[in-house]
Amino acid sequence: MVSKLKKCFIGIVAAVTAAGSFAATAFADEPYETYSYDMWQDTIPSQAGYRVERTVTGLDMGLSSLSDPESPFFISEKESPYLNTARDMFFDDVSETFWVVDSGNNRLLQLDKDLKLIGCIKTIEGSSVSTFNNPQGIFTSTDDKGVTTIYLADADNNRGLKLEKTSPTSAKVILELTKPETEAYKAEAFTPSKVIADKEGNIYLISTSVNSGALRYDSAGTFRGFFGANRVEQTAAVVARKVWRMFASEAQLEAMVSSVPTEFHNFDIDEDGFVFTVTESANASTDAVKKLNPAGYNIWDNAVGNSYEFGDFAWSAKEYSAKSTKLTDVVIGEGGIINLLDYETGRVFQYDKDANLLFIFGAKSTPSEQEGSFTAPNAVETYGTNIYVLDGTKNDITVFTETVFGKYVHQASELYVQGKYVEAKPIWEEVMRRDGGYTLAHIALGKAALNEDRYADAMEYFETAYDQENYDKAFEYYRDDFLRDHFQAIVITLVVLIVLIIVLVKLRQKGKIKSIGEYIKASKEKKAAKEENE
Amino acid sequence: MYEFSTLGWLKHVIFHPVEGFEDLRWKKKGSLKLSFLIVFLLFVAMVVNRQLKGFAFNTAYVKVFNVVPLIVQSIVYFFVWVIGNWAVCTLFDGEGTLKNICIYSAYALVPYIIGVYVSVFISNFLILDEAIWVNFIYLLGLGWSVVLMIQAMKAVHQYSFTKTIVSIIGTLIAMLLILFLAVLLLSLFQQVYVFVYSIYTEIAYRVRG
Repeated sequence: MVSKLKKCFIGIVAAVTAAGSFAATAFADEPYETYSYDMWQDTIPSQAGYRVERTVTGLDMGLSSLSDPESPFFISEKESPYLNTARDMFFDDVSETFWVVDSGNNRLLQLDKDLKLIGCIKTIEGSSVSTFNNPQGIFTSTDDKGVTTIYLADADNNRGLKLEKTSPTSAKVILELTKPETEAYKAEAFTPSKVIADKEGNIYLISTSVNSGALRYDSAGTFRGFFGANRVEQTAAVVARKVWRMFASEAQLEAMVSSVPTEFHNFDIDEDGFVFTVTESANASTDAVKKLNPAGYNIWDNAVGNSYEFGDFAWSAKEYSAKSTKLTDVVIGEGGIINLLDYETGRVFQYDKDANLLFIFGAKSTPSEQEGSFTAPNAVETYGTNIYVLDGTKNDITVFTETVFGKYVHQASELYVQGKYVEAKPIWEEVMRRDGGYTLAHIALGKAALNEDRYADAMEYFETAYDQENYDKAFEYYRDDFLRDHFQAIVITLVVLIVLIIVLVKLRQKGKIKSIGEYIKASKEKKAAKEENE
Repeated sequence: MYEFSTLGWLKHVIFHPVEGFEDLRWKKKGSLKLSFLIVFLLFVAMVVNRQLKGFAFNTAYVKVFNVVPLIVQSIVYFFVWVIGNWAVCTLFDGEGTLKNICIYSAYALVPYIIGVYVSVFISNFLILDEAIWVNFIYLLGLGWSVVLMIQAMKAVHQYSFTKTIVSIIGTLIAMLLILFLAVLLLSLFQQVYVFVYSIYTEIAYRVRG
């Protein structure tokens, strides 16, 4: 008990000094504090994994050339050199270019790696409606021959588009996806907001306020049904409604609001064909983030006993600011790293492939706008080690670059998710030197120790990280080892004890020794007798 | 017959759930000091259960340790139980005195306390797959104590079984009432304190001019 208390005390002292030094050495560069969550889902200060490199506005991209008659990108003299309510951004891995949906200006911008303009599509050929109207979502793919196919959610024209880029300033329509003429599609409106396509050419469209999932079209453009709907979140109101339903009359039933799931707001597809979806409704706990296999089955299902947690925990986030999480975008980076963008707090949450939290960074612009803070964060993208966040009100793109600490964490985590715990060990140790409170480092080092059969060390690492399940595993091996090593001693002690007990019992039965109670009684009687004599 | 030492009586009532407390009552035995010691050990058991349980089994929030809830959950609850039971059963022709209720209730808690100690002890040597043993011993102690408690209340008040159960439910309600009143009283006194303190500050300011 003493050692536990001592440990507790040391822990508190360490935490206090860590918090103190954190405050003292924090840079003023970013308008937010970086933190992460421990096993209790409490926030703990953490080293920054990313720093703001710069922000890029329309002028920085070179959008002024759009109104310059001498430029090859010339569209018209009045073309705005700024972004306007840009809603989506996509990075094409093959051609290594960014695509930005400039919704307010109804145009698509193609930018190179340094975010300089290399193309702008304002009009398209092969359709009766040759311009866009408030386009919202984009997805592109480039084949071996360098032909870029663009998938676009053209919201206010009520259509999804599959385009082929013919030159930097033009594209022709391959497919035009319109409202499905089936009974399965119940909604009145058809306003596509986000789009992705898989390798087989299936196109997935999210239509605003359709909660039966994404619309799946095959490569010929025929509607093939819905994909991966969310489930109803079991709130108190939903449960109450279920109970009422049992007693309600038919007329009452008809008047009742039905419990419907919230639609997912955005999605991304990774190299293996898994679709990741995010739900924007505040503090959604059911199906907030899903990893869907091609059949639409959610792999990250907490209902079957897993515990995948994303975003801020409402009760802990209060320390930094009381806000609910509204995940608006998801992007899968290199090595399966998952980046989630929270519209409400302007934070990017980064997770490894197995949904272990890596970093949290970014902030909302309150009260003042600074680099690294957002007003309307609409999209997040990754390229290499950078993270790009598109702001639809500030009309710029913020570029985050990896810090040295971030580099170490990413290197280590890449090995870690592959199960190469021992190889990752020296890197995690480097991470620990820079941030001793980094939970994942402790767990990873514990797993490395476990693989190297150093069970006692592993137990210590897991205890520090408070990872009870892994601790239990380590302890099981430790106990087996201990029993094997001390088998003789244990058996001998047991035998001696048993013999001793048998002997004592036998002696007592024969009246040679007394039980403790009898002994006390006898001594009391003796005392009483003595007093009487006196 | 039945000439036991104090501890001998304790052993007797624990291992004779049906007749033990009747014998205890018949012989007018039972030590108040021992019952206080048992209640203290109950409190220690709560602390031990929170602090010394095997790491993988411990679900407590170990970052902060506050002893007050544990005191309330053991010592305060026990005495509220005793007073509540006495208050209820005096009205229902119970024959138990406050002292006897305290002694008998405390004696009945012993298996639970031992169960906690043993389960905490073995949880340090078991893994989560074997958690059933920890739970089994804990629940065994708990169940045994519940049986003993019913028998103790039955014996101390000379009730029938049904009346005992009714009186226990009544006691639980009485406990709720007592605790509610206690909380109410505390908050009222706090307001009185605040009132007096504000008068004091007011006067202090005036005096200083």
